[in-house]
Amino acid sequence: MAGIRWPLVARRIHKWLALLVGLQVVLWTITGFYMVAVHIDIIHGDHLVRAAAPATYKLADLSPPAALLAEHPGAREIRLQRLLDRPVWRVDTAQEAILHDAASGQRLPPLSPEEVKRIARAIYAGSANIVSTRLLTTAPLEMQTRKPPFWQVEFAGWNRPTLYISATTGELLARRHLLWRIFDFAWMMHIMDYEERSDVNNPLLRIATWSAVAMAVSGAWLLLWSFPKGRRKRVA
Amino acid sequence: MSRLRVSPLLFRRIHKWVGLILGLQFVLWTISGAIMALLPSDAVGGHGGSDDHAAAIVWRDALISPASTLGSVPIVALSLRQVAGVPVYEVRSRDGIMLLDARSGRLVRIDEALARAVAAEASTAPVRSVARLPDSNLEAREHQGPMWRVNFADAANTSVYISADTGRLLVTRGDAWRAWDFVWMLHNMDYVGRTSFNHPLIIFVAFGALWLSVTGFYLLFKSFGRSDLRWISRRRAGSM
Repeated sequence: MAGIRWPLVARRIHKWLALLVGLQVVLWTITGFYMVAVHIDIIHGDHLVRAAAPATYKLADLSPPAALLAEHPGAREIRLQRLLDRPVWRVDTAQEAILHDAASGQRLPPLSPEEVKRIARAIYAGSANIVSTRLLTTAPLEMQTRKPPFWQVEFAGWNRPTLYISATTGELLARRHLLWRIFDFAWMMHIMDYEERSDVNNPLLRIATWSAVAMAVSGAWLLLWSFPKGRRKRVA
Repeated sequence: MSRLRVSPLLFRRIHKWVGLILGLQFVLWTISGAIMALLPSDAVGGHGGSDDHAAAIVWRDALISPASTLGSVPIVALSLRQVAGVPVYEVRSRDGIMLLDARSGRLVRIDEALARAVAAEASTAPVRSVARLPDSNLEAREHQGPMWRVNFADAANTSVYISADTGRLLVTRGDAWRAWDFVWMLHNMDYVGRTSFNHPLIIFVAFGALWLSVTGFYLLFKSFGRSDLRWISRRRAGSM
């Protein structure tokens, strides 16, 4: 078209948009590369725990679960679980989970720190010592999607492996370690939510992504003139 | 060709060639990322059947003891819960899963009527169709086993998946999720399973994209000169 030098237009769009979002694009590719390169099973800490051997139970040894209903009229579900090699009934109400000894039907007292340590040692796949055991009533950043209280059990190791165990049911809630923490930071940078690390619809991300679309498309457009036949390309 | 030196020209060449080879995926990454940022995560959902749907068990009826029907069969798991108003024992043994009516001990089969009743707890919209799947489809891929798909006639074309073994609500999917899942596939480059983002193809392309962005970032410092300022001042003068 007469008068308009399209390569120049494309180059300017590409350059100026790159000036706007270039740093974020670099961060996207770095954090994206980390997230694809380290397998998600490692991030999830599958290697930190060992699977419990499946146990079988004889109903004759268990108290009838329906007997617990009088005590917990709001129960939604009562299910058999294992706590330190003994069967327990877990009663789920709308608000909480409550454990009863499955043999006697007696309600269990809250877990002691010693029981929590025994649970953590039974779950943890390594042989390292426990460095700290703490009952948390406010969720740390790495557990912000979970409702406290829960126990935080940290093991010795370069990656600071940490197990989070429910204070009410003794179940493993989460596994955290250095690679997970890096992933979480990378995810924060990737979705540009620097506070909660969870809002994938934030306005900053929307502006940056659509700017990046325009930058990438203008870059693809530039390719049309970037491989001239037989002569050096002109510099805009 | 002359020996390669570390120079703007080298970076420009890398930028050009990586752009030529991987540019399409880079464009797809930005577009799919932008669309995922746009799709409201509440509407996308996909966090599976939550306990919010589970109602408290109706305890008016006297419940039998599970031992009275199962006898001495060794069990792996047992749960007393409710399926569409009926208290049931969900029993797992080495042979599989069984649902027993907790009042009579009779076997409960999750048929279409029961599946509809469970689905009705998730949506009040009229049901458009119901289908039984022998195993999960792409939408319910996080779950296994036979399941019912109950399709609702609502604006989001909601589909509710219910396990044909346990009667549990597995997951709810709507059009926002379907759109999200398609662009998520473009983003994670797992065109078959749509789940993995740790496969060799994406690692290779992501490594290339790293070169694209880093060389591009470097070139930013070489790409702005006086001519750019002149362009601005010319525009301001209205001569363009």
